[in-house]
Amino acid sequence: MKTRVLRYSMLTVVLGLTTYLALGFGKRSFEAYCPFGGMESLWGLFREGQFSCATGPLNLSMLVAVIILALIAKKAFCGWVCPIGFLSELIGRLGLKIIPRNTKLNPKLNDRLKLIRYVGLILALYFTYRTGELILRGYDPFYIIFSGFGHGTLGLVTIIVFTITIIGSFLIPMFFCRYLCPLGATIDPFSRLGLIKIARDEELCIDCGDCQAACPHDIAPHEMIYVRHRDCTNCLECIDACPEKDCLTLKVKL
Amino acid sequence: MTIPRYSIPILTIVLLFAGYFLRFAFTQPTTSVEFGETGKAKLVCIVDGVKCKGTANYFTNMFNGVEGISSIETIATEHIATFTYDPTKINREQIRKIIEQPILLRDGSSRQFFSCVKMK
Repeated sequence: MKTRVLRYSMLTVVLGLTTYLALGFGKRSFEAYCPFGGMESLWGLFREGQFSCATGPLNLSMLVAVIILALIAKKAFCGWVCPIGFLSELIGRLGLKIIPRNTKLNPKLNDRLKLIRYVGLILALYFTYRTGELILRGYDPFYIIFSGFGHGTLGLVTIIVFTITIIGSFLIPMFFCRYLCPLGATIDPFSRLGLIKIARDEELCIDCGDCQAACPHDIAPHEMIYVRHRDCTNCLECIDACPEKDCLTLKVKL
Repeated sequence: MTIPRYSIPILTIVLLFAGYFLRFAFTQPTTSVEFGETGKAKLVCIVDGVKCKGTANYFTNMFNGVEGISSIETIATEHIATFTYDPTKINREQIRKIIEQPILLRDGSSRQFFSCVKMK
């Protein structure tokens, strides 16, 4: 079975559960499960010993779980669980189907644009800590989609940001995850240390580049021995795409 | 050491479930207010309407000046409000009545904001 079938099945279940909660059927709000809420609550906990705004214990415990997961299996949360990553990937694939293209973003420009997510992280935390409000709600596609432009969104500003995110995802696969996601920026340093990574057998590799073409984050496993890249979600698309059996494998490596 | 592909989804599921149960380790509340009374009886309510710090503050303020309430602690995301109270001055049903009382809005109308779904 192709790994993508398993991965998409898992992502569909998570997307379904999130929608179920968003429709008000669950015990908690869908927001209570967001690991980034844990980051947003840290200052309030440190200063007052209380959770701020709509964050709670589950946000914090999910953040801890996602960080431990990143230390073991890199950004597996992003590739196997996150509903926004899933939607972003689907929109990106749709974009490639409708407008087939081989041109890729200049790697240097791609790397520089990724710095935006760190700026976003710093601004989101600064304003959240300063005001005690979840300021990111107006810009966060997870909240905008599942709350249906609910309380805390910013009208026209939210519509413009959301439209840019959708068009961006259509043109550049994983646009939000690559350039804007503050949770991604939070777990970057842990992901770099992730123990389980994709390994390439140099002798078996024919350097065809199919692995890079299949990677949603445009990482080039055929240029590495171990994929230590911070953006690797261990989605295993590269292993599925590799024409040489056992050339790319999953290994535990410090 | 080579490991099978399905170890990634298994690890992910296991760790997220562990995270789900780890929430019990973080017991910090959303609001915690003491009213200076000495009653020690405890009442835990699941309150529909307590969703964030703002609603939790509003909810807690509804009990300002109410005789018999010693403290209120809320966990907004879990919709939990824990009261300590003096049963000789106020009982559970009176607390429920205060929770579910209609709230006067700026336009002069009134609406019930909170309802007690469960009492323990």
